[in-house]
Amino acid sequence: MFINPEVPLESLPSADNLDWHALHPSFVRRLQLGALIRVLVIGAIGTVAYLLMQGGDSEAMGRFADWLLSYALIAFGVFAASILIWPVIAVPRRGYVVREKDILYKTGVLWRSVKAVPFNRVQHTKIDSGLLDRRFGLANLSVFPAGAGGHKIRGLGTDTAERLRVYVSERIEAEAIEPADDERSPPPDPRTEAGAAPDNGPVTDAG
Amino acid sequence: MTSSDSGQWRRISPFAIVFFVGKTVRNVVRGYVQLVAAFGALAVLIRGTPYAALLIPLALLVVIAVAVLRYWSFRFRIEEDRIHIRQGVLEKTSVELPFDRIQGINVERRPVDRLLGLVTVSLDTAGSETTEGELPCVKRNLAEELRARIGAGKRGRHVGQREAVPGVVIAHRGAVSERGRPVHRPEVAHGTARGARAGIQDTAGERTAGDRSPARVLLRLSTGDMFRIGLGRDNILLATMLIAAAWRRPRELPYRIAETFGFSEDFVRPALETAEATLARTDALGETTFTGGIMLTALAVVLALGVGTAFLRYFGFVLWRKGTAYRSRGGLLTQNEVVVETTKIQQLTLSQDLLLRWFRRFRLRVHPAADADASEHHDVPRVLEVPLLDAPLARELRASVFGEEDDGPILFPKSDEFRRVSAHYIQAHALRLGFVPAVAGAVLLVPVTGLTKVWVSFAGLWCAVWIVGGGLTALQRWRRLGYVYGKDGMASRGGFVGRKVDAFLYRKIQSVALKRSPLERRNGLATLEVELASDTINVPYIDHGVARRLRDHILYTVESSRRRWH
Repeated sequence: MFINPEVPLESLPSADNLDWHALHPSFVRRLQLGALIRVLVIGAIGTVAYLLMQGGDSEAMGRFADWLLSYALIAFGVFAASILIWPVIAVPRRGYVVREKDILYKTGVLWRSVKAVPFNRVQHTKIDSGLLDRRFGLANLSVFPAGAGGHKIRGLGTDTAERLRVYVSERIEAEAIEPADDERSPPPDPRTEAGAAPDNGPVTDAG
Repeated sequence: MTSSDSGQWRRISPFAIVFFVGKTVRNVVRGYVQLVAAFGALAVLIRGTPYAALLIPLALLVVIAVAVLRYWSFRFRIEEDRIHIRQGVLEKTSVELPFDRIQGINVERRPVDRLLGLVTVSLDTAGSETTEGELPCVKRNLAEELRARIGAGKRGRHVGQREAVPGVVIAHRGAVSERGRPVHRPEVAHGTARGARAGIQDTAGERTAGDRSPARVLLRLSTGDMFRIGLGRDNILLATMLIAAAWRRPRELPYRIAETFGFSEDFVRPALETAEATLARTDALGETTFTGGIMLTALAVVLALGVGTAFLRYFGFVLWRKGTAYRSRGGLLTQNEVVVETTKIQQLTLSQDLLLRWFRRFRLRVHPAADADASEHHDVPRVLEVPLLDAPLARELRASVFGEEDDGPILFPKSDEFRRVSAHYIQAHALRLGFVPAVAGAVLLVPVTGLTKVWVSFAGLWCAVWIVGGGLTALQRWRRLGYVYGKDGMASRGGFVGRKVDAFLYRKIQSVALKRSPLERRNGLATLEVELASDTINVPYIDHGVARRLRDHILYTVESSRRRWH
């Protein structure tokens, strides 16, 4: 059923066996530092909450706090360990490939996803770099097609991100659609004269 | 009505002040809920002091002052190929919208607007981060003028094509610029006063002398259709069922309703009690009748609400085609007019709720590219919705939207060409919907009851309900799921009670992703997710090989297509 008379299926460029580029090596450290800060903040909030519950007048509340403490500590320990270790597992499984006509980005350990954005659909690109990113010399590249919110590749080296952005911008320019034979004329409507086939004049980009 | 010079900064009608008052109030309510709460608290605090009374007029005054300033600072200028909108008091914004970036012009007529012959025009742009343009309270013929210019900009390449709109006669002058691009400077001259009113009368057949572009009415909904729309929505059906199921004591319902609407109970109760007593005295049958009557009344109220909403939104709905654009207009108080250029259509969504199937009717949504900040303007419709249409019209619209590229985007949910997704979907979905909440609930119950017999019975019942419910839901969802693909496009079917089909062309796709959950990986399956400028569409649990080939084919089509996607 899947027929494509112009290009035989086998000769379609496949996006499967690609040479994925890894993210910047210090991205793991950056994520771990972020996770550590989160752990510390949550730990501090938990401690304050525990002290408040203990320091209150209600004795029952104090006992409840003690009972809760053991469970909370276990949960907190598991949570802290997992978010500190997770980047080590997850980051090597992310990667990107820049091809001539599109950019691909893969993520996910259990739920894996490979996303492809063709350059001739990209509206604009953006580089951003947070406080922690800058500390590690990292930057994030986002490409925005029309519609949804854009796709972000996190954890690139600052110069890699800039080089990629320049390349993507060049590709966008190169792939920009020349509106020569683009406009599809509406099928002529027999009941009106309005749908008459338009006459394609010589045209360049409107700029 | 003498404002057709291009290049002049123009003002909108002073009645826009009313519009801005409404908008300011809405902005405050939407964006500063906390602020309102704080003011509320303040009001409570100073209640009783003589200054409190000053607060309300003061707030009103501020709002009006802001609205006047906003009106005062609002200017727009229509240039040859773009529109320029300047506004803002403290934070000045200046937006330039090139006509070829505008996806559509939507016109809204609020009741006040209709009295004054004004409209609110909103311009849809796709993708970029610029905010969309909105021209509140402008004269109606301005909307037509803009529409004509945008149409001219779109067809600027096609030498000699003419389009005229009601009331505005446009003569194209085909000059050639230095760069060899044929430039059309539409010269706009206003037609007769009758044309300037530019109502649907023109487009619906009574053509005025200057109107050289006849429109074709495709659909007109009657009053009876409003009832069909109102009754045909699944959510109404579900709401009714929920009310019926949730109300354990229907006899209390009338009292509750009376309370809600502020009738004193002393007034209602005797009357109802008399009725109840009269009926109940006779026999048990009478009692059942009474309860049933109340249930029926509740049902009727819910249905009437649905029909009322249909009347408000779609009364006098007309769908027509003019030139290359589809237009619709409808609404009882606030009239909404939506225009979508055929080339800008990204996706067609045909849905059929349970009752609509009985009426042999469908609902069609025509999606142009969505606005980047659509969430901020969700009160303005940007999707052309045809609330009720029959199969032949749907077929005709599909043919004219997709043209020759019709291999793949199938619209009708019952089509044989739809393929089922893998049955592993049921397993995964049942697990997520039923098993996880069942186990979580049972575990969370342990600290409450302890591991006793009570827990066993409770947890058993809880798990049974969730697992059976989740399984049945997953099964039903799977039965609705389906997909079909061809050379030019594809369609994805879904739904729960009713059916829904999203059909689109490959070359309009913005990005494509292949996603695989652990279960999908184990069974050689994948989820294909495509992003259009209007929506994101998922096709879950299809064969990995098919998904990969589709992905590669989509990328090939998009990357080799030299046609515009909008």
